[in-house]
Formats: sequence, structure tokens, C-alpha cells
Amino acid sequence: MEQGSILLVGVGGQGVVLASAIVADIALRCGFDVKQSEVHGMSQRGGVVTSHLRFGGQVHSPLIERGQVDVLVAFEWNEALRWLPQLRPGAPMIVNLQRQVPPGACRDRKSWRSGYPAVALDALARQVGDLRVCDALAIAGQAGSPKAANSALLGVLAPLLPFPESVWLDALRSHVPPATVTINERAFAAGRSLPFPEETRRHAGATRFSANGFHGRDESAPPRLEVIAVWCKGCDICVRACPTHVLALNAADKVAVVRPDACTGCRLCELLCPDFAIVVHDAEERAADLTAANHSGSEARG
Amino acid sequence: MNTAARADYRRYLRLDMMPHILCPGCGHGIVLQAMLRAIWRLGLPQDQVAVVGGIGCSSRMVGYVDFCTLHTTHGRALPFATGLKLARPELTVLAIVGDGDGLAIGGNHLIHAARRNIDVTCLLLNNAIYGMTGGQVAPTTPTEMVSATTPGGALEPSFDSCKLLEAAGASFVARGLSSAPIDLEALIVQGIQHQGFSFLEVLSDCPTYYGRYNRLGEGPEMLQAQRRHVDWVAAPLADKAFVPGFADTAAVADVALQYGVLHRETRPELSEQVHRLIAASVGEGPT
Ligand code: SF4
Ligand code: SF4
Ligand code: SF4
Repeated sequence: MEQGSILLVGVGGQGVVLASAIVADIALRCGFDVKQSEVHGMSQRGGVVTSHLRFGGQVHSPLIERGQVDVLVAFEWNEALRWLPQLRPGAPMIVNLQRQVPPGACRDRKSWRSGYPAVALDALARQVGDLRVCDALAIAGQAGSPKAANSALLGVLAPLLPFPESVWLDALRSHVPPATVTINERAFAAGRSLPFPEETRRHAGATRFSANGFHGRDESAPPRLEVIAVWCKGCDICVRACPTHVLALNAADKVAVVRPDACTGCRLCELLCPDFAIVVHDAEERAADLTAANHSGSEARG
Repeated sequence: MNTAARADYRRYLRLDMMPHILCPGCGHGIVLQAMLRAIWRLGLPQDQVAVVGGIGCSSRMVGYVDFCTLHTTHGRALPFATGLKLARPELTVLAIVGDGDGLAIGGNHLIHAARRNIDVTCLLLNNAIYGMTGGQVAPTTPTEMVSATTPGGALEPSFDSCKLLEAAGASFVARGLSSAPIDLEALIVQGIQHQGFSFLEVLSDCPTYYGRYNRLGEGPEMLQAQRRHVDWVAAPLADKAFVPGFADTAAVADVALQYGVLHRETRPELSEQVHRLIAASVGEGPT
């Protein structure tokens, strides 16, 4: 590997920036040109922290283009899904199974039900060619402190990068707080020795990513009402606004059409949905759509 | 002008960026849809519309629309929009600002854009609080209402931005509601059509901070409360009061807010004047 683009993602407090600084230092010590750029803050919006790290003979841009990440290290499950489209198809992805539910995902503050995505490793494995999953928090806990989870993840990352083991350890020692050197070394070694056998991590799955699950109109929905469930945030506005009680929230806190025949086509639900998740079609429009689809085969934008 | 009942606004969304970042039940999404419907009604080509945002939850909206867009610095949407309109007068320029963004940090820019009467349509989304940064008190937070920085209730009175803008010289001033999306769409259409600075205050909701701190419920409750406390300007002004998401508390019961078009006048527009001056000077040749 003569050059590499690594994306580290997580949420505030997980040590993403420190881990990235350590890898940058290692690449520098190995004589590479390095550029690193991080985004943090905005913790009110879920606290995303990302760090782009690029090394090579000469690096021009500090940012990695979408779909060009050589290794994606996700410190948190939701962030893993969020940044998936950045990964080059087939490239390795390291995922820590820790889950940190951001405030914005809490739909109902009384019961704290949340819209946090379920852990679906099989589905992720179908999209990622080389998936390496671990529970870094548990590994670090065994090593002496859950705070060393970032070192455990560096351990998982180490075999994927062209840097000698001794440089990893030297850099680790010089960056972590002196009192925690032993714990971090143990966590690193534990992560480093995790087995990811070839046959368990290679999946000949689809490599076309869909950032948001929008695949156009759901034809199985009742003809008049089109619901885009992946956009719905379960705010209950349409349910309460519908004069004829056509809509309800389902167990997953998504809007569902429960009395399709009662719909009068008044459009209140569509007009008041803050998330563009409902469209009310009228008969002529559907007829026109069908004609257009038969002629062109796809919807023209513009 | 498109007249079909259902506006085909989804063509203007950047589908790859959806779903948007706004909280469940946040009124801003309703305003965004109304704006897209208004643009669709006017039949404006996408490359002839420029949408400029500042910083804040409301300004995030520019990231989800497929027009010419500028996401600028906090409070500075209008200076960018002014420059854009002067350089490219053929564009339809909209600026989306928040209440903190437009009335606090960008307050001076707002009144001067109104004074200059530059042909920009400014949507000020008023949710009575700083949403994105965590619910701090804004110049629109009504007296006695709770925010992260006024846990005992705000002491200062709040701005009536429509009165402020009318006094500053805006030639079109209107107030719309996220809970009345059809009216809102019609107001935005009129604002865009108006030649000169059009100011629309849109009352929106922040259930995450304003609603939660003041126990006003979530999205549906806040939208319902909006309707109870305003009156359409054409209707007789009842003894109704409004603050965004306001529930019946004695403190603000005598405040009544009107919505609809509040002020309209015809006065020289800046970009037109500038270009007339340029044409005249060019005609005279170099001096
Ligand atoms: S169109 Fe009207 S009647 Fe039909 S689901 Fe929506 S709100 Fe209910
Ligand atoms: S209004 Fe929209 S986001 Fe809210 S529950 Fe209904 S479909 Fe979902
Ligand atoms: S913080 Fe408030 S204004 Fe911002 S997106 Fe959430 S609800 Fe809307």
C-alpha cells in the first residue's frame, strides 16, 4: 500500500480524533506525506465526529471523495451506516458494535422509544466486501478500561495498513495519557489478535449502496396514498391531522395506512408532513404517470 | 403558473440527501414543502432560482433542494443574497434565515436589506429559540418563556419582526404559519412575485427545545396551539394571542398576532437601479 485514505467515524467522547492523530503520526514516522482533517462539534445534532486521514508519497487534498475510502473505521453502529456510502466498493470496514442513541432519534420522550437503526450485520455484510466487527468496549474493559476502546480498534486496523508493529506501539505510547499506557497497549494487542478469517469476512454481496433507502414509489401501497416509510420520523402529525383517521403509526413508529377506503384525498397529511413522507395522488395524475412511464421508462427530473 | 391541485414539488428535492436532519415534528419541514410548492406554482426553472441560507436548523433547508444554493455564515445570508442579486439580477433569489440568525446576529443585515429594497424574498423561520445550538434564548422568545439560558423564564420582551421590517422599509411584509401550509404557499408566491424586498415571517415550531422546555407537547400539539392564537388579517381581530407553540398561559394572553399580507408598497428596487446606473455610465464611455 503506497497510499491510503482512511475514514474514522464515531460520536463525541469515543476518542476518534485521538485515534486518527495516532495513525497520522505513525504514517509520518514511516516517511509518508500525511493530511488529516476532522469535523467535530454539533453534538446537539447527534454528536458526529469524523476524521479523514490520507497518506502517500504526496497528498494534495485532505478530504476523501465519496466512495474512495480504503478503510472505514466506525466506532459506533449508527455512524457505520451513515458513512457507508463513503467506502470504496469491496474495501474493508471495521465496525465497533457500540450503540449511542442520539437525542434526535428519540421519538417519544416519555417512553424513550427510539428510531435508532437495528443492528443488522447480515444486511451490512451483504453490502460490504470485507466486514470486521468487534465489541471494542468489551475488549477495552477486559484490558482495564472501556476508555481504551479506540486503542482496541487501532489494533483491528493495524494489520490492514503497511506500518511496522513497533511504530504502532511507539506512537500509541506517546499519545495516550502516561498513566494509561499499559491498558492501551493491552487493548491494542487484544484488537490486533482478533481473528477475522477470510471465509467469514468475504461476502459476494451487492456493492451498490443506497444512502437513504429511497427506491422510488412503493407500488404495494394503496393507490391513492404513497408512503415513504424510510423518511417518516413518526412525529404523529399526519395521524392527528387526518379528519377520517386513515393513518396510524405502526410498531416501528412509521406511518401506516390503516383505513385506505376512508381517505377523501384532502391532502392534509401531505401538506403537514415535515418529512415529505406522504404523497396523495389523484386519479388523473396516476393515469398520466402510467402513460409517461410506459413511454419513457423512467421519471425525468428537471 | 402551474394550477394543478397537487404540486409536483418532489422534483426539487435532492433525494440523495433525504431524509433531512430536522427533528421529528419540526415545523421547518412543512415550510420547506410550502416553499417548493410555491416555486413549482410559479413554474420557475431550477437554474434560475437561488436559495441562500445562513446557519441554524432553518438554514439547513438549502442542503435539500436542487436549485442554485449557498450555505453561508451565521446571520449573513442576506449580504450574500444581496451580492448575488446585484451580480445576477435575472435570478429569483430567496434567503432563508432563522429568528436568531436573522434578528440577532444578522439583525443589521436584515434591516439594511429592507431599507435597500433589494429584490430578495426573505423567509424568516421563527421558532422562538435557538434550535441547533441547544435551545438558548432568542430575540423572539416571549417574556417568561423558558429556554436553556433562561431557566427561570425570559425577562426581555421579544421582537415583532414584521413591525420591525415594515419600519425598516421592506416593501412586502407578511406572516405565515407552518400550521397553515396552503396559505403559506400563497404568501410565498406573492412574496416572490413582488418586486423589491419581500419579508415573510413564518411561525414554525421547535418541539425538541422550545416545546420541551415549556411543556407545550410535541409537533402535533404545537401546530394546534399555533392555530388558536393567531388571526388572519382580513378577519376581525379577536382576543387571541400567539407565540409559536404557545399554550394558554396568562403571561402572554393579551398578545395578538396577525397573519397574512401585512404591508405592501411599490418603491424603487436596488438591483434595477444599479444596473440602470451601470448602463448609463457605460454609455458615457471611460472618463
Ligand atoms: S388525504 Fe386526507 S383523508 Fe386521506 S389520509 Fe391524508 S389527511 Fe386523511
Ligand atoms: S407527518 Fe410525516 S413524518 Fe410525521 S408521522 Fe406522518 S408521515 Fe411520518
Ligand atoms: S432543534 Fe428545534 S428547530 Fe431544530 S430541527 Fe429540532 S425541532 Fe427543529
